[in-house]
Amino acid sequence: MAKSKKEIISIQSVSKIYNLGETVVKALDNVSLSIYDNDYISIMGPSGSGKSTLMNIIGCLDVPTKGKYKFKDELISEMDDNQLANIRNEKIGFVFQTFNLLPKLNAMQNVEVPLIYSSLGRKERIERAEEALHIVGLQDRMTHKPNELSGGQRQRVAIARALVNKPSIILADEPTGNLDSKSGNEILKFFAKLHKDGNTIIVVTHEESVAKLSKRRIDIFDGKIARDE
Amino acid sequence: MEKLLEMNNFFKNIIIGLFSVRSNLTRVILTASGLTIGIFTVSIVSAAVSSIDKEFAKSMDYYGNDKVYVGTWPWSFDFDWWKYRNRPKIEESSLEYITQYSEYITDVSIKKNTWTRATYGNKASWLQLNGVYPSYQDMLSGTKIENGRFFSQNEWDLQRRVIIVGGTVRDGFFQGKDPIGKKIRLNNVTFEIIGELKKQGIGMVPGGTLDNLVIMPSTTFERILTRWGFDELVLQTNPEDIPLAKEEVEMIMRVARKIPPGDDDNFAVNSADAYMKQFNTMKNAIAGMGFLVTGISLVVSAIGIMNVMFVSVRERTREIGLRKAMGATNFNILTQFLSEAVAIAIIGGSVGIALIRLTVFGLASFPIPNFNGATLPISFDLLLVFYTFTICVFIGVLAGLIPARTAANLNPIDALRDE
Repeated sequence: MAKSKKEIISIQSVSKIYNLGETVVKALDNVSLSIYDNDYISIMGPSGSGKSTLMNIIGCLDVPTKGKYKFKDELISEMDDNQLANIRNEKIGFVFQTFNLLPKLNAMQNVEVPLIYSSLGRKERIERAEEALHIVGLQDRMTHKPNELSGGQRQRVAIARALVNKPSIILADEPTGNLDSKSGNEILKFFAKLHKDGNTIIVVTHEESVAKLSKRRIDIFDGKIARDE
Repeated sequence: MEKLLEMNNFFKNIIIGLFSVRSNLTRVILTASGLTIGIFTVSIVSAAVSSIDKEFAKSMDYYGNDKVYVGTWPWSFDFDWWKYRNRPKIEESSLEYITQYSEYITDVSIKKNTWTRATYGNKASWLQLNGVYPSYQDMLSGTKIENGRFFSQNEWDLQRRVIIVGGTVRDGFFQGKDPIGKKIRLNNVTFEIIGELKKQGIGMVPGGTLDNLVIMPSTTFERILTRWGFDELVLQTNPEDIPLAKEEVEMIMRVARKIPPGDDDNFAVNSADAYMKQFNTMKNAIAGMGFLVTGISLVVSAIGIMNVMFVSVRERTREIGLRKAMGATNFNILTQFLSEAVAIAIIGGSVGIALIRLTVFGLASFPIPNFNGATLPISFDLLLVFYTFTICVFIGVLAGLIPARTAANLNPIDALRDE
């Protein structure tokens, strides 16, 4: 099923090795992985399995020690800090477990943050941010500060922020981890909708219920891909 | 276009920095107040030094740059008084030797000095008295006869009780009316005012206020005012001849006083430029101390800003991680935190400038008593504002650089994980 789609991410024999003095930790051990357009992937694994490291590498927050990482046609594994920042800005939308909204900024301004680091003008930034808040259904909460919003609403602001630069992939790290099950389900439904609308979504989780909703599931164990289906 | 976009990005980061200043206003103001005090004191010290300078230069006009003075004491700020106290008085007779033998001295006068009580009707004041030769008319420096005339040779010969008065006498005794022809009493002897000197304002040289001066024939002085006082020889030369003239006068004086070779002078040859040099040394010492102390306060305030910036970086580690994840480059973060530091510094500096402004206004509206209505001259100009802002930006960058670099170099993964 995946073969017919366009490949976005190509990870070839990637290893991430941490040298902690005497011990050498192989967080990722010779991992290869392809991610295609409009995938909805969940990455699962116990803590310490290397799933966070994999997520950081996919999210261009980190570079592999060995191996090749290609994002579309760009070779991420060879990039410097500024180029990585650029890729993160343009190609990747992050959603975090703890939302990571800036408490002093209102919903609108929070959504605007990624656009500030792009070269868009003010008018266009506001238009885009409004559009993204419309998509997550928070058009009437634009001037609310995070502490005036519920957990589910906060995560929706964070999703709007991830969407605002029209990224190639949305990378969510335990997006429901800090939410009650009702709000969590709402967010998951929302992910399904985003997927249906053509977005590529990668969710890192350790909850079966979250993983079940995805179309493809990758299990990581001891730095290796244990399952990919 | 690329460049323009980069500039645009640069300013956006500055705005983010300013935004965080606004959201921590109390802390910012407290931190900035250190710099406020620093800037305020620096400006006061520099204003005071330049004012002292100006006033001193004005006072030095009284002595003139073309005159050599012979007296008992050297003009110096380091009085070794025990060395000078037993020196013989200056004799008027020395002037004859000088006129006879000197090449550089073109004119001479005695200058007898004392202070006395002056009265007019029920008003009284202390005035400085100078007894001089008629030739002193052409040797007046730093002032001139503005009204009336100097005394004549004839009046000098006849020991006439005629005086030329300084600028304060008119206001002090005559309510601003013309004092010429009026009679005032000096040491209970009646004198007629025949001339008036141009008013100068305050001076800073001891005994150098021209406005409280009364000039009279030295013959009259000698006959009537036998009070304490001291004599000086005033010798006219050309400004460029001062050093040679001083050497020459010293030689002539030694001969006149029959001082054996090898013995020390028992008189002092003075001139304004030497005094000026002495003064500059003292002024530089004052300025040096002032700037050292205020410099320290600037450093302390820079450290304060640096400290707050470190706190700010620490508090916002997650925000930095988030911004980096959202695509902020190291330079973006650096700019953000640097502009925060510079903004704190500029806030401090601006309040400092406002304080100086207020102080200048305050001083201007309260005349200093006993100084004839003069005000303390502190200058306030745009240059000061410009310097202050330059200093503030410099201090802000200096104080913010290390914290901002720390922030910029944070690893986004670790920063995001920060609790």
